[in-house]
Amino acid sequence: MENPGEGTRPGGSFAVSCERVSFSYPGSGRPALSGVSLDLRQGEYVGVVGPNGGGKSTLVRLLNGLLKPDSGRVLVSGRDPAREPFEVRKHLGLLFQNPENGLVAPFVEDDVAFGLENLGVPREEMRERVARAIRTVGLEGFERREPHTLSGGEKQRVALAGLLVAEPEILVLDEPTSMLDSAGRIEVLEYLHALQSEKTVLHVTHHLEELTGADRIYVLNGGELVADETPERFFSNAELLRENRLVLPVVPRLALGLGFPPAKLRTPEELAQAILTRTQSGTRTL
Amino acid sequence: MKLELRDVRHVYARGTPFEVEALGGVSLGVEPNEVLAIVGGTGSGKSTLVQHMNLLLVPTSGEVLVDGVDATTLERSELRRRVGLVFQFPESALFAPTVEEDVSFAPRQFALGEEEVRERVLESLRALGAGELAPRSPFALSGGEKRRVAIAGVLAMRPEVLVLDEPTAGLDPATREDLLALILGLRESGVSVVLVSHDLDEVAEVADRVCVLHEGRVSALGTAAEVFYGDPTQAPATVRVASLLRGSRPEIGDPVRFGETLDALRALQGA
Repeated sequence: MENPGEGTRPGGSFAVSCERVSFSYPGSGRPALSGVSLDLRQGEYVGVVGPNGGGKSTLVRLLNGLLKPDSGRVLVSGRDPAREPFEVRKHLGLLFQNPENGLVAPFVEDDVAFGLENLGVPREEMRERVARAIRTVGLEGFERREPHTLSGGEKQRVALAGLLVAEPEILVLDEPTSMLDSAGRIEVLEYLHALQSEKTVLHVTHHLEELTGADRIYVLNGGELVADETPERFFSNAELLRENRLVLPVVPRLALGLGFPPAKLRTPEELAQAILTRTQSGTRTL
Repeated sequence: MKLELRDVRHVYARGTPFEVEALGGVSLGVEPNEVLAIVGGTGSGKSTLVQHMNLLLVPTSGEVLVDGVDATTLERSELRRRVGLVFQFPESALFAPTVEEDVSFAPRQFALGEEEVRERVLESLRALGAGELAPRSPFALSGGEKRRVAIAGVLAMRPEVLVLDEPTAGLDPATREDLLALILGLRESGVSVVLVSHDLDEVAEVADRVCVLHEGRVSALGTAAEVFYGDPTQAPATVRVASLLRGSRPEIGDPVRFGETLDALRALQGA
């Protein structure tokens, strides 16, 4: 088809679609994104990885209308985020790296409610939605806590509840665990993965182990989309990883070094069990 | 040099309703030529602790000693040259029009000739794989590039102890590995490195000793193997795998780094 910009990718069937999107920051000689085309179907969980400066954060900012593409088209739930940023943000919630920067209100429940206050939601419904969002992230009992008294993981869950309360169909997660310690990271991921079936998710991260359960993984490098792979193929493709300055997490890397398929063994327990099974003919368990 | 903290206590906002004890009596030495990792959960006091190492924070009680001398009696600027501190997200302090000028800022405070300053600046940038960034604006760089430039600014003072507070947070894995290689290279050249990190897998690769902080107190201190095998639930993935196998296969030993763990596991499989 000669004109892929019109018709071949009806925005309605995709939650997110980018067509040949390019963007350069003012004063920078090199485009931050050049000719990137990608789609997210409804309900997909898609990872985005790549080196620093690869274009990941630029992509995120184009999706919620903080930036406007120089050329190409971005559609989120069928709308152009650069033209209708406020409408798009009802459908797409963005969770940033550092929860410290986003919490505004004196109490957890006010913070969660903040996003609804400008949407004209009736008071009773607002109460229900706030309570439901707080339940979804497992923070019942924290409603009257002051955000500054919470741990990093808890703060990030408050930020997540603040997104969920507006009931967006699409969540964009921009390195949501990079400021958290390992306990906080595990805790936030647990709640994010629980949303997998009901939301469309775009998850930007440097921690590849967070994407073993993703439907697909996009690799952005030098502003270009260089790969679109399933986690199995992605984790097994040593060349692709090396070319894009990506490093396998420790457990799959050990698994690979021992001749196991890297994408199947995600936890130390799974790997230890596989080693025992192999060395002792499968009779022992841990 | 040898840096020593003796029973350091730190109370924030003393005498106000917001008073909080961030450190409750920490004793810890940084030996010459070692990589010491400080780990612990959010709010355990890691950042407060390392800011005592060059007296950016003064202990509420207790002492900081440099080669046995009370650090408060030393010239502060000299102390801060010898103990270089890189904060969390140091790139937020970049300010000059070019990378070279930014990295020059600290060494210029120490009465060095322009040639010497320039030489140190380029040497530091090259050590971080950032030599080609010298003429660029720090504000047009990627996150990882900015981070390296900010660290170069401290390295250019040629500190004897380099303290890095979460230097790899938000960096891509390959840039993180480059930075870890730099840490090991600095140790080779005689610099002590104190690494604050919540990423135990990276700690496993570089640390000689590990100090675990919990609620402002040292809950474990020793070699990386001693500390991690002492509590394998709070350990890097390598140690968690090996400790699960030690019950039935004690010959695996106590590997910590990736390479030695892979070798030990291969030996176990007879491969």
